Amino acid sequence: MVTPPPRDAPPPQGSRAPEPDEPVLRLTRLLACSAIEPRLAGVLLFDLEPHLIDPVAHLFAELLGITGPPLMLGAQTRDEDLWTRTRLRQDGGQVSVSTGPGPLIEADGRDGPPQLVVVPELTRLSVAGMRAAVQLLGSDVAVVEHTGLRHIARPRARWLAVCGSAEAAQLSPHLLDRFALRVPMAELRGARPRRLLTAVPALRHATEHIAPVSVSNDALGRVRTLLGPEAGIRRELALARLARTLAALDGDRAAEARHADEAARLIGLPGVAAPKTRALERGPSSGSSGRPGAGDRPDTDRDVPGAGREAEERPGGPGRPLEGPGPEEQVGADPAVVRDTPFPEDAVSVLRDFAPLRNLWQRTMGPAAARGAVVGSRRAEDLRDLAYVPTVREAAVHQRVRQTARFTVTPADLRSHLRAGASERLLVLLLDHTCRDAAWDWTHALTPFLQWAYTGRAAAQVIEVGGADAADELKAQSFSARNVLDPRVLTALERPAGRATPLAHGVHEAGRVLRAAFRQHGNALVEAWLVVVTDGRGNVPLTVSQSGRLAGQVGAEGVEDALGAAERIGAMDRTRVRTAVVDPAREPYGDLPFRLAAALGATVVTGRPAPETDDTGEPGER
Amino acid sequence: MSHAAGGVHILPYSRVVGQDELKLALELNHVVPRIGGVLMAGSRGTAKSTLVRAFALMAHGELPVTLPINATDDRVLGGWELDALIRGEARPQQGLLEDAALSGMLYIDEVNLLEDHLINVILDVVSTGVLSVQREGLATAKHLAFGLVGTMNPEEGGLRPQLLDRFGLMVAAEHLDVDARQRLIRTVLDFEEELAVAGSEWLAVAERDDAAIRARLEEARQRVRHIPVPDTVVRLCAQAAERMDAVGQRGEIVATLAARALAAREGADLVEPRHLQRVLPMALRHRRPESSFEWGFEDEDRVKDLFETV
Repeated sequence: MVTPPPRDAPPPQGSRAPEPDEPVLRLTRLLACSAIEPRLAGVLLFDLEPHLIDPVAHLFAELLGITGPPLMLGAQTRDEDLWTRTRLRQDGGQVSVSTGPGPLIEADGRDGPPQLVVVPELTRLSVAGMRAAVQLLGSDVAVVEHTGLRHIARPRARWLAVCGSAEAAQLSPHLLDRFALRVPMAELRGARPRRLLTAVPALRHATEHIAPVSVSNDALGRVRTLLGPEAGIRRELALARLARTLAALDGDRAAEARHADEAARLIGLPGVAAPKTRALERGPSSGSSGRPGAGDRPDTDRDVPGAGREAEERPGGPGRPLEGPGPEEQVGADPAVVRDTPFPEDAVSVLRDFAPLRNLWQRTMGPAAARGAVVGSRRAEDLRDLAYVPTVREAAVHQRVRQTARFTVTPADLRSHLRAGASERLLVLLLDHTCRDAAWDWTHALTPFLQWAYTGRAAAQVIEVGGADAADELKAQSFSARNVLDPRVLTALERPAGRATPLAHGVHEAGRVLRAAFRQHGNALVEAWLVVVTDGRGNVPLTVSQSGRLAGQVGAEGVEDALGAAERIGAMDRTRVRTAVVDPAREPYGDLPFRLAAALGATVVTGRPAPETDDTGEPGER
Repeated sequence: MSHAAGGVHILPYSRVVGQDELKLALELNHVVPRIGGVLMAGSRGTAKSTLVRAFALMAHGELPVTLPINATDDRVLGGWELDALIRGEARPQQGLLEDAALSGMLYIDEVNLLEDHLINVILDVVSTGVLSVQREGLATAKHLAFGLVGTMNPEEGGLRPQLLDRFGLMVAAEHLDVDARQRLIRTVLDFEEELAVAGSEWLAVAERDDAAIRARLEEARQRVRHIPVPDTVVRLCAQAAERMDAVGQRGEIVATLAARALAAREGADLVEPRHLQRVLPMALRHRRPESSFEWGFEDEDRVKDLFETV
């Protein structure tokens, strides 16, 4: 829980707080703009260190004048937590219930500070939370029709969200677009949390003396040049509004091109040069005591010869980094590529979930229905998984009508938990990179399994053997993913081959994953597929992988260990585990995949298409 | 005045830049409510929601009855006032569908994100014209009629054909050129700045322009029933629908109604083929099998000769 620190008193006349470093100044100035201008309500920080979320929230709360804790949203956030607030009161011998606007909207239409909403990890936010952001951020009006409540008002809440730039492309563009201020904040890494608050008194003083400001045509033209022709209307409007707010903060009457430049620099738009003169050196202007941010220390990365000329030219497009692309073999999200741009999703192309703002469309009402996370309650159909508090609340509503002597719960009051869809399927993919060659693309062989996993909303576990960039080439590497759309899965499929093949460790790891999954999910796991792509040749014995020490000749020990581990998987529950071995058809030990499949009890899938024959009837080259 | 309660400020309808197709569809639906509503598809940031709200404020003086994506079924169908129930009083609370029947329009923001069970409820009511509620001690059946106005961002998923067919007209938000974008941004910023100006002349002029549009539409509503639709236009409509492989007959009926509304809006005494040609894409684009909602030059060419020979 984040609690704001006590407010600082304004600095004594003539004194100035120690000047924090440049990223801190940028951040404080941006948050001040959001605090002043409700149309800049959404602030999305990319790559902010987790330990800085709390101090940044403090800073924002301080600028907004909020004394209470912010509203934290995460994976468990439900509509019921956001839109309505039901209060139970003991009134004499009676229990009374009242329903009013929930925490997200209760400050709308009232005096006083707005609500501060903090999303520590935007990619993990629940569908209810994402929908709330889409409904409220940048909207003229918020309409809520929820459990007896009707609410129509202008949204006032400010949102502070954090997201990894490499993961941004997984999110709905619709959702990202709603955040008016989007800023890369990786460079805040070294900042000490306490220093974030040093600029607050000056900014609070400045925000209390804001006069209406117009936007010049020069500023609008500059905004368009900075963002490029492909930028959406919302991005242009957001930058223009930020420029206008900065001008107001500085006490200027109109936003000019230089304000647009400063706005672009504040949100980290690539290619915008640092100002040639420090704004602080221009002397104080009305209502801008201290003016943090206007006189930023020149950014050393951008303070290069020719930077001034760069500012006159449009950068390479919206969100396009100045650096060249990453290494060619890098297929998935590459943090080096997407950092330092406020629009990282433009630079990275990953598979995105279909309709990410819709609730899961596929759910079975089998055993898993009683195991997922609680996301609400509903009228009970049987006595399983009862939700006691909603049941009592439902009963309380009817007490006066029933006119019974004691508090009475009838079967009609019973409520049961409504649970989020949990994965009922699991795909374990064991990829032996050393079994591939230039003429064979294993994607085609794996596509049916990936399609099964996608359509069944299966969780994915990828185990890699013999990857070129493995942290330890004697060991298999493994990661779990929410589904096969996780960009790491695609990266794994494209990873180049290394030297060692710790296949035995990979098969052993697959067995461990399957056993853990069935233990963890119990009956909820309906079906699991283990798909192994290997030629069966492993040159690292299991003991070597586990100990990390290689000594002497290994012979066929690695292969035998792999077969032994496979037999243990083969002995598992055959009704829920299905296995397949994709045969890359490599000689001279073409029988090894079949031996492994026999040990697993697996189906063998022909991975490589049959050799083509040329006109002479001879097999063509592969 | 283009303001609403709760400090809500909506850009005046007459000041919305571009989106002529969207505006035309809303106005035609207002002149002839039997058209059955409008679906607006467009990517994010194309002022779809702003336009609908601005139109409702201009035409009716209040915000539209809005069904948000997270509405609960008690608010859609109606139920009991909870606080009154606690006090031992049974006081029914009217649902959104009944509210919509009073105003004639139900606005569904992000219609493609609406939960399936709510879509089913709305489809039931719109197709039968009856809201029947048998739940939580309620037992009512009411005749309701209203037009659906919805906005959707196709990036977030599609809509079932049954629901698509319930929208009389469908339009796609237009892509603005550089000049239009500049005017749009300038207008939005000016509007925001004028809100802080006491007795703003800018807002007063915009309000007068809105009033003029409202008066023109009201006049069209009065005239439309007296405007005949020649048989040649009806036949043209049937031929065009056949060529475009439109599913069902609702598209032809809606196209004829919309052509008549357009004639009334233009002050014409008779529905002419050009009126029909103008509204044909709106009425048919979402009623074709495997449609991507596009209406391009090829589609124009398929029906062009029909209108040239008249």
